[in-house]
Amino acid sequence: MIHIHGLVKQYGMNLVLRGVDLEVAEGEFVTLVGSNGAGKSTLMRIVATLLQPSSGYVQIGGWQLPQYAAKVRRHIGFVSHQSLLYGDLTAAENLDFFARLYRLDNATERVMAALKKVGLFARQRDPVSTFSRGMVQRLTIARATLHEPDVLLLDEPYTGLDQDASLLLDNLLRQEHENGRTILMITHDLTHGLNLCDRTVILNGGKIVHEISSREATAAEFLNLYTYYTRNQREKQHANE
Amino acid sequence: MPMSEQTSLTRPPESEARAFLTAVLAIVWKDLHIEQHTRQTISVMVMFSVVTVVMFNFALEANLDAARNVATGLLWATILLAGTLGLNRSLAIERENQTVDALLMAPIHRNAIYIGKVISITLFTLALEAILVLLFIVFFDKPLWRPVVLLVLVLGTIGYVAAGVIVTSMTIQTRSREVLLPVLLLPLSLPLVLPAATAVAAYMFPQLPDWGEVQSAVYIVIIYDLLMLTAGFLTYHFVVES
Repeated sequence: MIHIHGLVKQYGMNLVLRGVDLEVAEGEFVTLVGSNGAGKSTLMRIVATLLQPSSGYVQIGGWQLPQYAAKVRRHIGFVSHQSLLYGDLTAAENLDFFARLYRLDNATERVMAALKKVGLFARQRDPVSTFSRGMVQRLTIARATLHEPDVLLLDEPYTGLDQDASLLLDNLLRQEHENGRTILMITHDLTHGLNLCDRTVILNGGKIVHEISSREATAAEFLNLYTYYTRNQREKQHANE
Repeated sequence: MPMSEQTSLTRPPESEARAFLTAVLAIVWKDLHIEQHTRQTISVMVMFSVVTVVMFNFALEANLDAARNVATGLLWATILLAGTLGLNRSLAIERENQTVDALLMAPIHRNAIYIGKVISITLFTLALEAILVLLFIVFFDKPLWRPVVLLVLVLGTIGYVAAGVIVTSMTIQTRSREVLLPVLLLPLSLPLVLPAATAVAAYMFPQLPDWGEVQSAVYIVIIYDLLMLTAGFLTYHFVVES
């Protein structure tokens, strides 16, 4: 479903992505982890059609970016640590606006169903600015899945969430995965979301340095691997300097 | 196999023009709803304008003739400066919570965002001008309700906002946006303001109307509007994607 080949992104002299290759199969849940500055958000913004690569390409569902970005956008849902919601609008108005942008049929019914799904039906008339961080993130999931995209992109979705809100988000993501959605999530937090995914990929210094199936390693083993690969890279960088 | 271009949820394919119009209306609907809830854009513009007009009225009170002579320039200066406040506020909304990303990821034409913004900010500015017209009638005893004067105000506002949305979309990403916007936008508005002020002034002094001059001024304002809207259409996607 997502095919990334030789992806390079350069800002001036700063090489952020150094030839990333990644395949995500239809219905697969892949988590991409890496330390700060590894290039995770840049990679996600390219896949989300918000940035263009310096070289290499991304294909989603067979459509190559950026040439077919307009066709791909209808099939992507994007959740980031920023809500992408209007704080001054109510929960229902926010979803109604995005239903209009995506020209959805039966918009009102879909908006109400989405609010029920994320447990915010009773707060539909409240401005988003009055919501807690966890409620905002649940509404963000409702916004991102309102048009039932084939691909869900998650950029640090657990940022700022407390334990209860993280568990609620876990449940929502599990539902989305069970519904057959292809999910690509990036995080630097190894305590959340790893148990949900099928495969974990470690990105370091703008390159993918290791991939592992969730069935192949326990959380402790994965933590050791992650530490090994990220520390190894840092030591190489220090040696080069 | 490529994914189909349409999901089962979306309406059957409609003409591009209709899809474009739907997106424009959605943007306008959203901006009007935000303004209805917060009243932050229009209220700031109106407060600034009222204070400016009242201050000038007191400053020029000793010489009422001088006040009447500069009234046209004062009217446009107030509209332009209050307009920068409205432009900054309306575009800043899209930076809060990074909602601009959601707009850019939606399956809509980039220019629908541009036109939607131009329409909503024009509506806010026209609401301000309705109040300004009343103020100028009260303070300066000027016949601003004349249809041609109102037409010039509407046309001038469209051109100013069309240029302003492009410039603000660039400056909004900088730290010094409050300073940069007037520095860039006001000189760009000069070819609009000079003929617009000339046309309005001619109708404020009906004993000396030069109809040919007024007609030329209105044509220049229309040409400026078309130029700015065309420039916006051609450049907006580069501005928001960069």
